Amino acid sequence: MYFQKKRCIAMLLAGGQGSRLKVLTEKTAKPAVPFGGKYRIIDFPLSNCVNSGIDTVGILTQYQPLELNEYIGNGQPWGLNKTHSRAQVLPPYERYDKKSGWYKGTANAIYQNIDFIDRYDPNYVVILSGDHIYKMDYAAMVAYHEKNNASCTIAVRNVPLSEASRFGILNTNPDNSIYEFEEKPKQPKSTNASMGIYVFNWPVLREALIADEEDSASSNDFGKNIIPRLLNAGHKMMAYPFDGYWKDVGTIDSLWEANMELLGKEPEFNIRGDERSKIYARNSALPSSYIDQSAVISNSFVAEGSEVYGTVRHSVISIGCIIGKDALVEDSVVMPGVFIAPGAIVRHAILGENSRIERNAVVGGAYGPQDKKKISVTSKGAVVAENTVLAPGDML
Amino acid sequence: MNVMGIIFANDATMGDLTSKRTMASLPFGGRYRQIDFHLSNMACAGIRHIGIISRHNYQSLMNHVGDAEEWGLELGEGGLEFLTPYAMSTTDRYRGKLENLYSAMDFLEYGSDDEYVVMADSAILSSMDLNDVLAAHVESGKDITVVTKSGIANGEKQLDLALKLDAKGEILDMAVDYAAPADYLASMDTFVLSKSFLKHQIKELVARDRFHMDRDLVMGLWQKGFATVNVYQFGGIALFNESVEEYFVNSLALTNPLVRGDLFHFHHPVFTKVRDRVPSYYGENCEIENCIVADGCMLDGQAKNSVLFRQVTICEGAEVENCVIMNDTVVGENCLLEYVILDKNVTVRPGSKLIGTPQTPIIIKRGETV
Repeated sequence: MYFQKKRCIAMLLAGGQGSRLKVLTEKTAKPAVPFGGKYRIIDFPLSNCVNSGIDTVGILTQYQPLELNEYIGNGQPWGLNKTHSRAQVLPPYERYDKKSGWYKGTANAIYQNIDFIDRYDPNYVVILSGDHIYKMDYAAMVAYHEKNNASCTIAVRNVPLSEASRFGILNTNPDNSIYEFEEKPKQPKSTNASMGIYVFNWPVLREALIADEEDSASSNDFGKNIIPRLLNAGHKMMAYPFDGYWKDVGTIDSLWEANMELLGKEPEFNIRGDERSKIYARNSALPSSYIDQSAVISNSFVAEGSEVYGTVRHSVISIGCIIGKDALVEDSVVMPGVFIAPGAIVRHAILGENSRIERNAVVGGAYGPQDKKKISVTSKGAVVAENTVLAPGDML
Repeated sequence: MNVMGIIFANDATMGDLTSKRTMASLPFGGRYRQIDFHLSNMACAGIRHIGIISRHNYQSLMNHVGDAEEWGLELGEGGLEFLTPYAMSTTDRYRGKLENLYSAMDFLEYGSDDEYVVMADSAILSSMDLNDVLAAHVESGKDITVVTKSGIANGEKQLDLALKLDAKGEILDMAVDYAAPADYLASMDTFVLSKSFLKHQIKELVARDRFHMDRDLVMGLWQKGFATVNVYQFGGIALFNESVEEYFVNSLALTNPLVRGDLFHFHHPVFTKVRDRVPSYYGENCEIENCIVADGCMLDGQAKNSVLFRQVTICEGAEVENCVIMNDTVVGENCLLEYVILDKNVTVRPGSKLIGTPQTPIIIKRGETV
């Protein structure tokens, strides 16, 4: 079989558990967590790839892959199912020499799939993760990488100094070349945080992965091992500044916030965009939504296949939900297939897929704009029984 | 059972709404085209070999159906074929559906394994289990099965084909282009026949200058005793979109949960072309009541008893009531619209007032600015 040579392919790290999303990732890998009414987190990096002209994407899966695999399918929603384009799911596997098994770290996951990448003989490999909500033109980043004749380019964004110690920080020269990398420094010297988006010259990365695998002390991680290794070896490494919207949705609070940031006349993150930055998602063949006579909706998204009879304010209602009469949903993220019975009250909550809030149940609480909000969460398929309460910040 | 499907796309009866498109590509229900219901019925029944007969204006239809990936019909034996005049040996003057079928004889020959043919017309919408119809056809042992619906005939509506049964279910009368009384059943223009029977009869009828499906194939053969006819009574919702008035009433009927529940159910999805629009956004002061709303809308004004298609914008202060508003349309600030059908890509300037009536809604043509 022949494989067309590619200038650039992408590898998407989608194997993480996302344990800080707690009950939402009990049965689902983080990249498959619903977002923004009709999307899943992985739609953002995948759509960015397609919009950047990258037509070959390897997707590394490990944790609870059933739903994610099913969602990606043959890559059809993103147009990655054609003769010379593909979305290839790459689970861990057992190799003849036993040098494989579960992915030990992000670098090891790529190492185990060197053969997949070699088929396309790419000049560049873009490494992405399935944890972030953003729109980015990777082609511009690759062009920048090429123009600077770098071995590796890392996307960075400015973070407040007070938060810098939570990130991998890149210290750069005035020309944006990197001279030092510090993982979660106590005394950060700069505010250039790594976004976990890398462009590598494939031969350079390939060599580094093989060397890293031979080092038994290594934790086989891009941030901890591969980047420092390349810096020490004297490779030219560039920081690529990005100032668009970018959100790590790895926690309950940040996932809730990111959904809320879609709302408003001039939202912080405009998901709408133009044809060139469209986000694609697998389609579920649901009809148009129905908004009843008794419904009141303001400053909210309502996705296809939903029926609204109650009141919805400042919320994201996903596909296939029912919001019953006299129910109130405020400041909440309602994931696909949720049923909210008449008279129920839901505030400051994330309701997991197909969960049910029965009659007159109360979920979460009200807060002033300046208060620290505690988000209540229901897991996939959970039921909040009639006339019961799920307190603010509680999970079911 | 090997079955092929044929869908007739034309016979447009909707004035301005179908002047530049087929009946099959007429938008319906916020996110669909009429043909989506027929393609989905066939796809759900496992029919994989489908011909779409279209005589003219089929550009928007081809654009919509594409390679039929959305209906899962892009792969496998046969697949989907457009039978356009260029693909058929055509004549200048159109004389009836049998002539189309005669011209499409190559297509009928092609799927040599197919034993039965299901034919449907784009004007009448339903979510129908075609396997049930096929099973009933085979069990009946008759030559032709006509799918019918009760409650449509009312003494005024002209029916393409009307049938009256006796108490035992035997056919008493058949009539074509007839404003039948209420005790008649209306044909849903959906038929099942064996392919060999259909091919034989097309050749025989066309050779005698007979081209009308209902008059010559069904009623004619039945009257002469050349064919036995089985009547299948469809129990679900059937929307006869044969005039602008009916189209308008049926569009708004989707706000009725019984109609919606019957047309769209979990195990019988209605597929359509995917457009990847964002969910609809409801602004701070919008008032939306009793509406069908597709994806990608921006709603800041008021809408009541209306169908809003994909990517519709209703600006602040606008009031829309009893309207059908198609894709990518903008209703400007402080407009007042009642009983209006806005075709695709229409822009209504701020402050405009358009008031139609239920019987004759105002139609604004595709792409116009008013």
